[in-house]
Amino acid sequence: MARLAMLIDLSRCLGCQACVIACKAGREIPPGERWIEIREVVVGRFPELRGAFVPHRCFHCAEAACVQVCPTRALYKKDGFTVVDFERCTGCGYCAEVCPFGVPRIMDGRVSKCASCLDLVQMGWEPWCVQTCPAGALQCGPREEILTEARTRVAALRDRYPNAQIYGETQMGGLGVILILTEPPEVLGLPPQPQMPPLALWKGGAQPLSLGALVLSVITSGIAFFIARRRHLEENGARKGSEPITPASETRKE
Amino acid sequence: MAFRATRWVLRYRPGQRVVHWIHAAAFFVLFITGLALIWPPLSFLAAGGLSRILHRVAAVVFLLTPVLYALIDFRGLRDLVRDSFTYTREDLEWLKGFPGYFLGRTSHLPPQGRINAGQKIHHALTIISYFTISGSGLVLWLGKGSLGPAGLLIATITHDLSMALMAVLTVGHIYFTFVYDALPAMTTGYVTEEYARMEHSLWLASVPPEPPYVIEVKEAIPEALREHPAPASEEAAG
Repeated sequence: MARLAMLIDLSRCLGCQACVIACKAGREIPPGERWIEIREVVVGRFPELRGAFVPHRCFHCAEAACVQVCPTRALYKKDGFTVVDFERCTGCGYCAEVCPFGVPRIMDGRVSKCASCLDLVQMGWEPWCVQTCPAGALQCGPREEILTEARTRVAALRDRYPNAQIYGETQMGGLGVILILTEPPEVLGLPPQPQMPPLALWKGGAQPLSLGALVLSVITSGIAFFIARRRHLEENGARKGSEPITPASETRKE
Repeated sequence: MAFRATRWVLRYRPGQRVVHWIHAAAFFVLFITGLALIWPPLSFLAAGGLSRILHRVAAVVFLLTPVLYALIDFRGLRDLVRDSFTYTREDLEWLKGFPGYFLGRTSHLPPQGRINAGQKIHHALTIISYFTISGSGLVLWLGKGSLGPAGLLIATITHDLSMALMAVLTVGHIYFTFVYDALPAMTTGYVTEEYARMEHSLWLASVPPEPPYVIEVKEAIPEALREHPAPASEEAAG
């Protein structure tokens, strides 16, 4: 499947929370957990208030820190989304530590985050949140089409919202969720340039070094064992030969 | 009936052996459950979270073994720490001869005390990595959720590299055990006098030559083995 993406148009979001509930019901998420949160952001002084309803949910980074750090590959990329194999998750919580958006949480010993509705999309349906949005703020489709749609909408929004802009086109290698913002990201509580933590140092450096040292030591001693063992027995034999045989030294079974 | 007598020298007291095997068991549980997290072919072990619980249980045992050692044989722990960090000129000489020792020769080495220079370095590194692996492990365990990317990275890299050091040390430990037939020291607690003279002659001289420090075991030698050793064992194998 082509690389997919979601569109979230903050200029249309009513903050009605329907997506939150549709997601919970559709994905059968246990009580106390949610994969979508809507945060109301208001800045400025009355009557010049500005703001938006900002979704706090997995943005499906193309270069996802959580995927890189996941030790069991329970998190992985598929069709542009960051999906979850919950059976493989051990609840180690590394993903929660490294996510630049602070999204994944550990609930009941497992990761809790949007695992995408790829199963629905494959059947020709829309994700639960998209299906249910009454304001037409959500869309799902091939990422290129979503970006084109986003550009058209931003151009149309510029009169009402001079700061209207696309978020997610380039961040973290390109997000799988394209946001249409009405205000600059920092105003809405989004990091303008989220950074990938230097995980390569660990995954690409320390881990291969550790495994390499272990394998090398096993191979070296495996080979050396046969040489050392033979020489040790030889030396023992020679020592015995040169010593007078007494009951105490005539004891070793060779 | 013919007898042969073997003189055995007490090398490790019962408490020391118990601590050793508890520590070893905890180490291997930790090693395998930890390896499941960094070696993808083993990651199925970690799936579901059972290995997480095992890792923590074994971690507590691993952390507490020095405490257990202090409680049941304080002298052993004190000697271990003192000897591991005390080096002499003979140790340097011994280390120069290490390549030969690695390949099975001991006759060129200067006489050694209770533990040789290689064992001293091995023990010292084990003690140091005990602290780095425990410290970083506790940080990861107790600090989860508030470490941030930088804290997580420092802790995991420290943990990984300490693991690598301990694993390599363990490979060497097992290697020398089997090259020099040293296993009985940790099972029965006794080594043959011949082994003690070959590897630790200064220590042997300091051991009181009486039971239970030195014991003599008499074994009956079967007639067949005594007269025709080699053919007899071949017949038995065939």
